[in-house]
Amino acid sequence: MSDGGRAEPALLRVDNLHVEVGGKPILNGLSLDVYAGEVHAVMGPNGSGKSTFANVLAGKADYEVTGGAVHFAGENLLELAPEERAHRGVFLAFQYPVEIAGVSNMEFLKAAADAQALAAGQGEPSAVEFLKAARQAAGDLGLSADFLKRGVNEGFSGGEKKRNEILQMLVLRPRLAILDETDSGLDIDALKVVADGINAFRAADNAVVLVTHYQRLLHHVVPDRVHVLAAGAIVRSGDASLALALEEKGYAWLDG
Amino acid sequence: MPGSTAEAAALAGRLLQRRENGNGYAPWRDRGRCRAIIAGQGLPAPRSEQWRHTNVTRWYAAAQTADLGDAHVGVDAPAGVRVLDFADAQAAALAGRHGDIFDLAEHPLAAVNGLLLGAGVIVLAPAGVAATDPVCIEHLGAAFQRVLVVVEAGASLVVVEAPSPFTHRIVECVVGANAQLTHLRRQSASDGYECSLVAARVAAGGRYTLAQTSMGAALRRNDVLIELDGQKAEARVFGAWRLSSERHLDNQVLVRHAAGGGNSRQIYRGVAGGRSRAVLCGGIHIKPGADGSDATLSAKNLLASSTAQVFAKPALQIQASDVKCSHGATIGALDADAIHYLRTRGVGEETARALLTRAFLAEAVHDHQGASRLGLLP
Repeated sequence: MSDGGRAEPALLRVDNLHVEVGGKPILNGLSLDVYAGEVHAVMGPNGSGKSTFANVLAGKADYEVTGGAVHFAGENLLELAPEERAHRGVFLAFQYPVEIAGVSNMEFLKAAADAQALAAGQGEPSAVEFLKAARQAAGDLGLSADFLKRGVNEGFSGGEKKRNEILQMLVLRPRLAILDETDSGLDIDALKVVADGINAFRAADNAVVLVTHYQRLLHHVVPDRVHVLAAGAIVRSGDASLALALEEKGYAWLDG
Repeated sequence: MPGSTAEAAALAGRLLQRRENGNGYAPWRDRGRCRAIIAGQGLPAPRSEQWRHTNVTRWYAAAQTADLGDAHVGVDAPAGVRVLDFADAQAAALAGRHGDIFDLAEHPLAAVNGLLLGAGVIVLAPAGVAATDPVCIEHLGAAFQRVLVVVEAGASLVVVEAPSPFTHRIVECVVGANAQLTHLRRQSASDGYECSLVAARVAAGGRYTLAQTSMGAALRRNDVLIELDGQKAEARVFGAWRLSSERHLDNQVLVRHAAGGGNSRQIYRGVAGGRSRAVLCGGIHIKPGADGSDATLSAKNLLASSTAQVFAKPALQIQASDVKCSHGATIGALDADAIHYLRTRGVGEETARALLTRAFLAEAVHDHQGASRLGLLP
């Protein structure tokens, strides 16, 4: 793959990726370059391999990479453990965030921040400063003060779980955020709040991959590139207007 | 070592003989009944129903050689709380007022304790006294030990059993009307063979809270019998344990509702790793006439290795009609999805496991200070 005439290398380079789950091929030669400062949307119908792609990047077990390569900032991402990927700056907002009874949101965030600071050779962040930053981010997302004290995703509504993923992203400040169907299950107000969070996160030194079925989030977070995934490979790429065309004509349009 | 009923009988004979050479501690105690039970019905045979998962013969071996002790007693008590050694002249009268609050015939090991008793103490919170500081039972310098805690009407008390060795210990708790007793048991990891019996009786409106934290031992068996004896009496039982290597812990708990309107809660959380074995039998017995009783039991176990063993059995006996009763027991592993979730946030697998284990156990930890000191919470 070329660097498309760009001076800097891609932050994320996915090259002809093949992945099987339980012996069944799901991704069949997916290639994608994401540069710092960009927002990419990966769209596609159910079963096209969107979530598999997101999960493979985060290092979930049970996904067997049978071919191709993934590099992150020049490093072979597939050789790294999930926590090592996080230390390099890869973040996955889960489609189905996990409930952890007995561990508070704040405890979870602090454990994550401490682990990442340790891996970066820095000291633990000051507890007071950290709490302040977490409260600020929670407030920005319209989450109440006691939200940080509750068990991780325990008894949260669907919208609260998704907002909690964005909260983690804002606090941990990854270099690459992969958002797996973060827009699903959100009402219009929550969608706007989540979109504001993503827009606030966007910066020249990070990148966002939005994995989504629908166009609606893309009204609020305008992507630089849109890719359509079908049967485990990208079948079309374009700018934001591709998402609008898809919304109008549906995925069946691509088959025609 | 006895491997059969006959050998258990022979052992009983040897234990009876040990007493002949005993130290004559607290002679007012009636040893005749103990002697009769050991000589008559005998000691539990190995693999009898009550001892299916714990090899009682190992305890017999320990009992035969245990140092009967010098009756040294170490107990710290706050002002207003009386502490009496069993050897004290007044102890007989005080103990006599309360008598045994369990059936000795059902607890033959307690009869061995009675026969070979070498150290005992009575802790008394007089009526209406609210003790602010806990009574700490540091050590009782004999293999066979007995503690009687009496909290009279309207009084409140916290008793801490600090980690200290024994071969057999009996703790009797008498909780008076509208009195409150919080009983914290801290059991550190031990290479000993230790059995104990807690028997509590709670009068009307009283509340007894038992919080056991344990790291297991070569053999540890805790029998607990709580009787809600008066209207609207309450019991809270917390049990948290974390076992590693070859440690063994057998908890046999029975909460008996003998009067109406009683309320009991049992919460157990245990982690078994290495080649350890954890046993829990959690029982609820609602006696006839104990209408309006409300009893729950929740027991969750984590298997932290493929070589550890967990046996969890709830046992319910309900003989009244208007009651609320629920129970649940689970055995499982840490949630792999939760571990992965933490790892994707940068937390290493080992730290993730520790965090989740801590959260799991915390639900049954009432005595946070004790749990931390024992190293129970990772």
